[in-house]
Amino acid sequence: MKPKTLWYFGRETGYGLWRNGWMTLASVSTVAISLFVLAFFIVLSVNLNHVAGVLESEVEVRVFIHQHVPRPRELKLMNQAKHWPEVRQISFFTKAQAAHQLQSEFPDQKDLLQLIDQSNPLFDGFDVYTRKPTQIAQVVRKFRASPLIQSVVYEGVVAKRINRLTQVVRVVGWGIEALLALATLSIVSNTIRLAVFARRREIGVMKLVGATDWFIRWPFVMEGVVLGLVGAATADVSVNYGYRWAIHAAVTAMPFWPVAPLSLVLQHTVWVTVATGLFIGALGSLVAVRRFLRV
Amino acid sequence: MIRLEQVDKRYGNGHVALSGVNLVIRRGEFVFVVGPSGSGKSSLIRLLYREELPSSGDVYIDQFHLTRMRRSQVPRLRRQLGVVFQDVKLLPQRTVYQNVAFAMEVLGASSREIQKRVPAVLELVGLARRKDSFPHQLSGGEQQRVGIARALINNPVYLIADEPTGNLDPDTASDIMRLFLEINRRGATVIMATHARDLVNQVQRRVIAIDHGRVVRDELKGAYGHEA
Repeated sequence: MKPKTLWYFGRETGYGLWRNGWMTLASVSTVAISLFVLAFFIVLSVNLNHVAGVLESEVEVRVFIHQHVPRPRELKLMNQAKHWPEVRQISFFTKAQAAHQLQSEFPDQKDLLQLIDQSNPLFDGFDVYTRKPTQIAQVVRKFRASPLIQSVVYEGVVAKRINRLTQVVRVVGWGIEALLALATLSIVSNTIRLAVFARRREIGVMKLVGATDWFIRWPFVMEGVVLGLVGAATADVSVNYGYRWAIHAAVTAMPFWPVAPLSLVLQHTVWVTVATGLFIGALGSLVAVRRFLRV
Repeated sequence: MIRLEQVDKRYGNGHVALSGVNLVIRRGEFVFVVGPSGSGKSSLIRLLYREELPSSGDVYIDQFHLTRMRRSQVPRLRRQLGVVFQDVKLLPQRTVYQNVAFAMEVLGASSREIQKRVPAVLELVGLARRKDSFPHQLSGGEQQRVGIARALINNPVYLIADEPTGNLDPDTASDIMRLFLEINRRGATVIMATHARDLVNQVQRRVIAIDHGRVVRDELKGAYGHEA
């Protein structure tokens, strides 16, 4: 494309956007709101993923040994498990230690503590840490295969539930976004249609003297793309400030809650919003121009 | 060369605009298309710049087969044509100069070419001094000259005009006619649909008379005749 042609397209694009000022503003706002909602769901799912990830990395597998198993056999099993490739760290605890830990965790539960004091119903066992969260299931299976083991408890169940929740959020998010995208598409398309209508005389002359369809189309497509991109940028800036604020509020209100860092969130939202904005803008203008270009 | 073979044009409402039209127009000719209102003149003109397609039959202009060509080829055809309308279709927010330059601009001409060619064509149509005026500041005849300048700016092989003098007083109309003759003298083929009986009779060029969609007369040095 010649620089002069490019200059012509740029000028016509700016002219079109300026001339339909209010519609331009309306379109950009709609695109921005729609993309903000999209970003909101992405932020939600990134955070759920983050929580699941944190939980998985902190997870310990607790293995409880049957009451009747003698201490040497317990220790032998521990030594075997120490050499499993998945195991990072393993430590033994007696049922007395377990009772002690309970007492320190729940100092107010008098009845419970009394019961434990009288006849300790707890088990000896191991605290096991895996090298990777994905190895937990395997380690759990191995322990369960041993006849010495009474039960195995791990927090992976929680992580799994969060993962499932993330999927639900994603599906719901994309569903809502699809509806919003349709509405946005029609508003962008109408804005471009106004621009096309305002320039129908020029288009008529252009067709008459033999300008190609794409030459006529380009400024409008660029107009749509600009609407989409400015909308996306607005949404991203809002997400940036909104999320900073949310992190601040979350850290104050729930210090223990693992919040995904801003950079991680933006990594996910920026490209999705920009790509969607671009797509909606370009498609909206192509739809709008189509009818007018029939020779 | 323009060639029409067995061309019919029926519209959706059943109206038959053209029926069994056969025509050959050679390069360099000056051709009037005459006939009463609703006879099919404008339909014929619109077929030539492929605003419309015939219902049946074939239209050829030079290497272009209008009835078979792809849509993407239409711009190439139109660059061979200059078209002038009764309602000039100028861009109201652009000056005379800009209106004419626009037709070059959208075909990707360089600024240098535009600056060289537009004043020359405005000179030819006698509007050099009005180049900075806007269309609403011009008389009907002057507006029509701008339309002609725009049609000429890309050096068309064929100049097609649909009642270009329709809205003009006799003196202005005769000025415009002289301009078309001059353009034809410089090599362009001119095809003009018109009602202007006196002008047609004056200049003694080829006349194709259409009535009820049929060619009823085709004379090399014709007059307006009794059909209208």
